[in-house]
Amino acid sequence: MALKLNVNGSEREAEASADTPLLWVLRDHLGLTGTKYGCGGGYCGACTVHVDGSAVRSCQLPAGSLGDSRITTIEALAETQPALLDVWVANNVAQCGYCQAGQLMSAAALLAANNAPTDADIDAAMAGNLCRCGTYGRIRAAIDEAASRRASVAGESQ
Amino acid sequence: MTISNLSPLPRRSTSQVAIEAPNLSRRGFLGVSGVFVLGACVPGCAPTPAPKLAGGGFAPNLFLAIDADGTVRITAHRAEMGQGVRTALAQIVADELEADWARVTVEQAPGDTKYGDQNTDGSRSIQLNYDPLRAAGATARLMLRQAAAQHWQVPLEEVTAANHVVSHAPSNRQLGYGELAGEAAVLPVPEEAPQKTTAEHRYIGAPQIHVDAADIARGQGTFGADVQRPNMATAVIVRCPWLGGGVRDIHNRPAPTPGLVGIEILKPAPAAGPNFTPLGGVAVIAEDTWTAMRIARELNIEWEGSPNADFDSAALQDALRAAAEQNEVNGVEAVPASRVPNAEQGDVDAIFDAAAGTELAATYETPFLAHAPMEPPVAMADVSADQCVVEAPVQDPQTARHLVAEALGLPHASVTVTPTLLGGAFGRKSKPDYVLEAVELSRRAGRPIRVQWLREDDIRHDYYHAASAQHHRAIVDERGLPSAWLQRTAFPSITTVFGEVPQPPPAAWELEMGFSNLPYTVPNRRMEFAGIRPGVRIGWLRSVCNIFHAFSANVFADEMAAAAGRDAIEHRLAMLPEGGKLEQPGMQPPVGYELDIGRLRHVIERVRELAEWQRPRPEGVGLGFAVHHSFRSYVATVLEASMVGGNPRVTNAYMVLDCGTYINPDTCAAQMEGAVVFGLSLALYGNIAMAGGAVVQSNFHDYPLLRMADAPATQVELVPAQGRLPAGVGEPGVPPVAPALVNALFAATGKRYRRLPIATA
Repeated sequence: MALKLNVNGSEREAEASADTPLLWVLRDHLGLTGTKYGCGGGYCGACTVHVDGSAVRSCQLPAGSLGDSRITTIEALAETQPALLDVWVANNVAQCGYCQAGQLMSAAALLAANNAPTDADIDAAMAGNLCRCGTYGRIRAAIDEAASRRASVAGESQ
Repeated sequence: MTISNLSPLPRRSTSQVAIEAPNLSRRGFLGVSGVFVLGACVPGCAPTPAPKLAGGGFAPNLFLAIDADGTVRITAHRAEMGQGVRTALAQIVADELEADWARVTVEQAPGDTKYGDQNTDGSRSIQLNYDPLRAAGATARLMLRQAAAQHWQVPLEEVTAANHVVSHAPSNRQLGYGELAGEAAVLPVPEEAPQKTTAEHRYIGAPQIHVDAADIARGQGTFGADVQRPNMATAVIVRCPWLGGGVRDIHNRPAPTPGLVGIEILKPAPAAGPNFTPLGGVAVIAEDTWTAMRIARELNIEWEGSPNADFDSAALQDALRAAAEQNEVNGVEAVPASRVPNAEQGDVDAIFDAAAGTELAATYETPFLAHAPMEPPVAMADVSADQCVVEAPVQDPQTARHLVAEALGLPHASVTVTPTLLGGAFGRKSKPDYVLEAVELSRRAGRPIRVQWLREDDIRHDYYHAASAQHHRAIVDERGLPSAWLQRTAFPSITTVFGEVPQPPPAAWELEMGFSNLPYTVPNRRMEFAGIRPGVRIGWLRSVCNIFHAFSANVFADEMAAAAGRDAIEHRLAMLPEGGKLEQPGMQPPVGYELDIGRLRHVIERVRELAEWQRPRPEGVGLGFAVHHSFRSYVATVLEASMVGGNPRVTNAYMVLDCGTYINPDTCAAQMEGAVVFGLSLALYGNIAMAGGAVVQSNFHDYPLLRMADAPATQVELVPAQGRLPAGVGEPGVPPVAPALVNALFAATGKRYRRLPIATA
């Protein structure tokens, strides 16, 4: 039976069983390979996507449980949060890059909900995302910069 | 001491140069429909052997092309795993070429001996390629100028090249690189080409955004599991918990299920000296990953025994401690230790017997570690009757290609191994066992196969960083300076992966990683070592034996300073010779790469400034210092730490790096930042244990890594050393981190942690 999912603003169908984790539906059935497998246990955050705007671990989410929830993956971030990606690139945040889609999705969800995150807010929002290369300092700096850029843009437009 | 010298495999693949490599006679620039291609013609390459480089390899040959539209295509022949090598190699070429960076693209080379050394390991990419790539860029720039001079019929001296444009100032004429490509292509290749001075470099030594950064941020980078192939199936393999065990029976062979392609039994690796042979097991091949994972997890497999089926890491740790202390520990007798040849100074025993001064003795212990790159091993292989195509995250595509060719009985020319982006590697992905799994399954299935390791497979079936024990004993005077120092190290050698010797001692190159090349002035000294055969595969992990050697030496030095009540950095500087180069036992490094005491002193003095070492910290907050020379670089570290609610908390890290000439200073800083996190993960949590031959840990809940909230603010200072020989960057930041942490916690609390990880100490 085909699963119906709302992914990056499109209705998509996948020939997968309802218990298939969203991660594998995205990667193997929909060709959206930006979302990564890191642990399969919800420990590392490499598979982070947004469901109705919240950052979730797609390896832990049976695709059949999602109904018509809005699913957003890294592939859509260039349209919805281009400034965040620009800051990420300008700060040379990524090393190997494998965890970065998950990091970006967590950061994007944080910034969507919080215009001026504190260090503690960032710690909390990013606690589920591991980076073996150790890019944490630059991730924090990039989130700060994205937030302050947005604040200055908002200030100018008022 | 480079990794490639230790295994029979890289040597074997090197020896193919004569058999496999195409005729490397100076092919020159090949004119291909207006494309200007600098082929295998880096000055000095075969048939005249390339100049011996400091890293011990031959100059590689770079494939540099300029298209008629002016696009410069630079081929990266080393693997990208986050160390920024694809960017750095291109920076070198583009600088000497005087290319416009915006018009440079980077293409990844497959494994092929024509490129020279491609084993991206040992922090050697820049060391091996700096000179040849500069020459490649400079040669192309000269030829573009020559082409323009000919075109305009003006003297070469009047023609300049800058930023993708060749100019003749007297006549105010200009031609773009693309416009000149066709004419340059038919010129003979000059023997020599003028290179820029250090002061003229504009990409070398300047920060640059990584060439893959934008793709990665958009989820478009291609990692191992992202490779697509028509009709590809995915395999998940259940491997025997212990090394060398085969499949006896599958008690619940799955019924035909939608998506299930087949079940394959793979033979086990040898129980001793497994090399890069796949571990064997039961492969579940399915049309999609989840089906393969789900069925693999449900299998009930009965395994055959093996000599490793009773391996116990706690017993091994007792044996290591016994060997280090040369005493029985928990009923385990000590393996006899050997002395490092030519390392003995004075008479250690006489000083110990006289006991004039304070005697210090301590044993330090570190456990097995797993690499745990965020991308678990994965490989795509497509085997047909007469060829094989592999795309996989591999550090050493030549060795992978050689082993694939051998496994299939195909000539090398029929096997293509192309590295994808590596989602972290740290040494794990220089061992291509996972590639060979995919090849064997593709051969059997007759279709492309992706082998996907689960995180549990990665943690339980790694090539583990060796557990170790080090014993230090010294007599120190009232200034904390040692009149006698006995060092003894014990660990299972990486060489056990390649051979079957019962108790092989560590190799000289393993001892030269921070043990036999300690630079301190000691009138009476002896260094001893012992090896124990492990029941698991040992591998090299980011900075290798430097991890435990730098740990014990830096903590013991701190204990000497503390015994005398001295400032740790003052004490360390006093323990060093005034200057000069270290003469270490055994083989000396190449000229220019000797351990330079002056440079070592300099990074120590700089980190003292950077950390504001003299500034008082709040009560309960301590500073810890460590310094280490490895991969020909110098790194000094200060960490600021305290205990908060019974847990170590690191607030600030200060790193000073002298790596000689650097290419991308921002990458160097990033590697130091990452080394702090990597070093803290292993110091705080890193622990792999084996019981009954099986690894106890399985995923990030029981093999934790540092998370963002626990990562310190890190400041990095790079010593300006442009013009010196380039040295390693990826690894040398790791060794000083763990000892600096232990020393900081001692300063903060008075408690000395001599056994890692601290979380279980």
